[in-house]
Amino acid sequence: MQPVYVTASAQCLPGAPVGNDEMADFIGRLSPEAERLGRLTLRQNRIRHRHYAIRPDGSSDWTVARLAGAAVRNLLDTAAIDADQIGFLATATTQNDLLVPGLASLTHAEAGLPPMEVASLQSVCASSMMALKTAALQVAADEHPAAIAVGAEFSSRYFRPDKYLGTDVMRADGTLPADAEFLRWTLSDGAAGLLIEKAPAPRGLSLRIDWISLRSFADRFAPCMTGGAVHDGNGAISPWSMNGDIGAAAKAGAFQLRQDVAALYRMLPVWLGEFMRLVDLGRIDPRAVDWFLCHFSAHSLREEMTQLATRAGCMIPAERWFTNIYDKGNVGAAAIFLMIDDLLRSGQLIHGQKILLAVPESGQCIISYAGLTVVEAGQ
Amino acid sequence: MSTALEAAHRGLARVWIDFESALVQVPVIARLTSGRLRIEDYRSLLFNLRQQVIEGSRWISLAASSFGPEHEDLRSMFVRHAVAEHRDYRLLEADYVAAGGVLEHIRAGRKNIGTEALSAFMYQIASKRDPIGLLGAMFVIESLGERIAGPWAKTITAQLGLESDAVSFLTYHGANDAGHIDLFDQALSLAVGDNEAAAEDIVHHARVVARLYRLQLEELDHV
Repeated sequence: MQPVYVTASAQCLPGAPVGNDEMADFIGRLSPEAERLGRLTLRQNRIRHRHYAIRPDGSSDWTVARLAGAAVRNLLDTAAIDADQIGFLATATTQNDLLVPGLASLTHAEAGLPPMEVASLQSVCASSMMALKTAALQVAADEHPAAIAVGAEFSSRYFRPDKYLGTDVMRADGTLPADAEFLRWTLSDGAAGLLIEKAPAPRGLSLRIDWISLRSFADRFAPCMTGGAVHDGNGAISPWSMNGDIGAAAKAGAFQLRQDVAALYRMLPVWLGEFMRLVDLGRIDPRAVDWFLCHFSAHSLREEMTQLATRAGCMIPAERWFTNIYDKGNVGAAAIFLMIDDLLRSGQLIHGQKILLAVPESGQCIISYAGLTVVEAGQ
Repeated sequence: MSTALEAAHRGLARVWIDFESALVQVPVIARLTSGRLRIEDYRSLLFNLRQQVIEGSRWISLAASSFGPEHEDLRSMFVRHAVAEHRDYRLLEADYVAAGGVLEHIRAGRKNIGTEALSAFMYQIASKRDPIGLLGAMFVIESLGERIAGPWAKTITAQLGLESDAVSFLTYHGANDAGHIDLFDQALSLAVGDNEAAAEDIVHHARVVARLYRLQLEELDHV
């Protein structure tokens, strides 16, 4: 790939940080037992603060498109480029505001940009890397002088009690199955974006994109994080639209997000195997990585995975991992851009340093890696 | 730069991860992992595995005799391994009978198409001088025991309502192959050292055996 550069970054996190003690005020209370499961999840993911676009009363001034649009406006405020130079906008999200049209159209309108090319990338966390790669290739191919990739999530609205009460998924004791409860205490809201250009920014730090790799393993994994599916209880799922009338689908819990956590852990070796493949290809040199930005916490890797990675010369020491998940939450498709933005603003980057991005997606098993190099203007 | 031993570990891990994660594409394994296994499936699995396992200690013994004086450590490891496993096929026969099969039938069985390919490959490599590549083959076979046999034994007894005496082969390997893997790691260090060609050779053989083992599962009862 022709080298292209991340020349600016920005984020939009709605409202003030919400601590663990207050989060039930925002996503709402199902039952004391459900909150006990929530505390268990929080102990595992170690998130301390997150942001919500929803108010405790369930109202909001935000949509996912407004969050993305605000991140794009913030990006333009920091960029050394006019808006009409930007010919391409790629958006990433897990769940759009509307089923139709795509988030890129809605975001284009919210961002106030002139007519341009757009692409809506919808998946889960890895949709961010799909958007980044698409934007990078557009610039590398000389289609546009500059492109924006933006990721946004507004998942808290799906976690409110009114999305569960009265559905078959809700149990008599006021709890949800673990695969539904887990996500309520894991995901939160926000947006972040990157500006991609053909040359580094004239001032400050840029990141050269050396390569981006993304691979799906849906040939061997069934859907493991789902929304819009009716689960038959025996592991099979069917689309919401094929379960009788719309009320029946809703009652069956079709519009709830679910995450099979056990299946997620079965994907870990596959994500690590892909890392090893890139080491063998010479794309990743684990010893040369200065900053490892992984959308998966080091502490969540089990002992067995760490051992396997270490023996194979693939373990990046914990002190070179950079994360902001504990203070900003897990913002899905916005997470990796949010991490890049915080790292660029951290004052810790030095010209020539190597950054490795890792974005696994449990949806139906995707893993994306990318290699970046820090470039400082005037060096 | 990574070392030759790290490259060997990495290559073997990649072979295993690809093999294990894609096993669900094999029809009988898809039924096993989704709770739809039939007793006929399990009997067929035992019947087909027995025709391969009965050859196991024979090719391991042949390989032992092919190691020259520079590889005495590997030779003694192969000899011990052959002794430990040379009657394993009897566990499969006993399981087959406990699962409702007839002893004479499993004993008179033929290798399926995949088993023929797997066995022929093993014997061919074992008869070469200093067959270090066979460590790759052993890695795949031992990993099956260490990582898959135990969970399969549990899910098969649960799904089919069998007693533990019908899953003795899987249970035995699930309980014992972890120790074998430690021994394997030592053997790998001995065999690879800083020799990149040896590392590549071992990974290559693991890749072939993983594919042939899967072929054996795909070709159940196809003789």
